[in-house]
Amino acid sequence: MLLDLSEEHKEHLAFLPQVDSSVVAEFGRIAVEFLRRGSNPKIYDGAARKLNVSRDTVQHGVEGLTYLLTESSKLMISELDFQDSIFVLGFSEELNKLLLQLYLDNRKEIRTILSELAPDFPSYHSLEWRLDVQLASRSLRQQIKPSVTIKLHLNQNGDRNTQVLQTDPATLLHLVQQLEQALEEMKTNHCRRVVRNIK
Amino acid sequence: MEGSSEPLLDAKTKVTNQLVDFQWKLGMAVSSDSCRSLKYPYVAVMLKVADQSGQVKSKSFEMTIPQFQNFYRQFKEIAAIIETV
Repeated sequence: MLLDLSEEHKEHLAFLPQVDSSVVAEFGRIAVEFLRRGSNPKIYDGAARKLNVSRDTVQHGVEGLTYLLTESSKLMISELDFQDSIFVLGFSEELNKLLLQLYLDNRKEIRTILSELAPDFPSYHSLEWRLDVQLASRSLRQQIKPSVTIKLHLNQNGDRNTQVLQTDPATLLHLVQQLEQALEEMKTNHCRRVVRNIK
Repeated sequence: MEGSSEPLLDAKTKVTNQLVDFQWKLGMAVSSDSCRSLKYPYVAVMLKVADQSGQVKSKSFEMTIPQFQNFYRQFKEIAAIIETV
């Protein structure tokens, strides 16, 4: 699968052949560091002064390189497809090799970072329960009604959420049965086949 | 009263929320995940409150018996003061 680079993107990347390959390697390092920890615009000012170009030129160059790396990593394109995709930029063979190496060296880490951008559903953290007996209410006195109170602790986006739920023992048993049935599904032939193929 | 910020205690207007329902129950916790044998009585209250747009929200909370007795004392005091108004 080839990358389709927009005209604007190609313009931004056109800065790269105008500098030393050591500078391109440094830009690559900065790009990955920005992906890890967020961008730090002060770096652009320093680099612009040293290279004697405008700050925008440096920023676009680094951002263009970042986008090239993230798109390639996102799609997991092959070495050959990467080389063919950047061929249209008309860079020197040395620069092409450098870019390919940047891609291959950082692909795995970039994919790990990108995987964290998927939407985060609330997930299970822990569960507390309590067995209660209701003795009276506003509408009825002299009762003996068992119920289960559950405090469900969930994680979402790093925060903790708590839900308090209440049910009677019969419904709880039904709930447990349903969950056991769901687990049983993992043992069916169909699920086994899917899991084997994913591995 | 110019510039006063006292809420008008007229249940028809200007009170931000209205109490729609007050349900309660008395229960006894007999077992939990952290303690297998309990004898813990409590009062659980569920309030239904309507805001100015009419939307009803539920809020529930529990009280231990001492907490409930304190709660009850507040209302006894309010009732006593109303008698004198």
